Amino acid sequence: MTVSAFCFLLWTGPDKVLPSMIEASNFTLHHIAELCGVYAVWLGILELVEASGLGEKLAHFLHPIIKKLFKLNDSEAERLIALNISANMLGLGNAATPLGIKAAKKLDDGSGVASQAIIMLIVLNATSIQLLPTTIIGMRASNGSTSAGDIIIPTLIATVLTCALGIILVKAFQKFYQKRKGL
Amino acid sequence: MSAYIIPILFIFIFCYSKLKKVQVYDTFVKGAKKSIPLVMDIFPYIVAIMIAVSLLRVSGITSLLADITSPVFNLLGIPKELIELVLLRPFTGSGSFALLGNILKTYGADSYISRCACVILGCSETIFYVTTVYISGTKIKKLLYAIPVALICSLFGSIIACLLCRII
Repeated sequence: MTVSAFCFLLWTGPDKVLPSMIEASNFTLHHIAELCGVYAVWLGILELVEASGLGEKLAHFLHPIIKKLFKLNDSEAERLIALNISANMLGLGNAATPLGIKAAKKLDDGSGVASQAIIMLIVLNATSIQLLPTTIIGMRASNGSTSAGDIIIPTLIATVLTCALGIILVKAFQKFYQKRKGL
Repeated sequence: MSAYIIPILFIFIFCYSKLKKVQVYDTFVKGAKKSIPLVMDIFPYIVAIMIAVSLLRVSGITSLLADITSPVFNLLGIPKELIELVLLRPFTGSGSFALLGNILKTYGADSYISRCACVILGCSETIFYVTTVYISGTKIKKLLYAIPVALICSLFGSIIACLLCRII
């Protein structure tokens, strides 16, 4: 896809290639500096959640669901996934990301191929149920909406449906792959 | 309402930790310290994906794609004003939020198009970005079907979003 963009630019504006690349890279540097600050706050909080035993409680609460979806025997990974999912549901994407990274590290088996659990983690993150799309409600309100919150219900319904579809598809693909391996 | 969630959550966590006799300050600092190596790890991956996205946008491929695919999206019930949003969303969070800002201004926050755009953003995720970041700490090179499944769900969500906004 990047190559097609390069080819396209050769035709529309070859002088734009390097500047736009550097601009993107610069933007990322700013972006990452901001992320570092955000992650520092959330990782600090996370450490507290872990140390106080709250994480364990949450994981215990979500245990039946996670057990069913991920089939893990690793309580730490389970705890990270529980926190990741809860953060996503509350619309705290920035809090969810460092948790997701840590969980993926724990789930990696070093084979170079994504394990079932990692695929499930990615799909669940991509389709996660949204209880409160905070940023979007804020944007609507600041643009003069009379009832900024009225997107909560449709968003909730849509995410529940996509989440269900995601889980079903992952499970179906999983069966398909296992069968192919078995042959 | 939602503004209270985070402060209350934090107060709860702090008090609970104190109650459990955890060294609140030391523990927080210990966690916060981990953010720098984490960001260092993911930086090169984000740079690569951001450059790719910027090239795609600058080259005009995304708007061309939006033109080409509009009959298909029309069939699925997604208005053509929202195609660029649906196409860009998996790649860039800030980019799609900028687009949403534009849509809200152009069509008015309470219009059908704007409500659709909000629900679409709410029920989708920056799939490529999140995936890149998540696996950046691992040795994974092959993702099998993770991305296709995530993209299918995302598209399905967009279709549902437009449908729901018409009913509700």
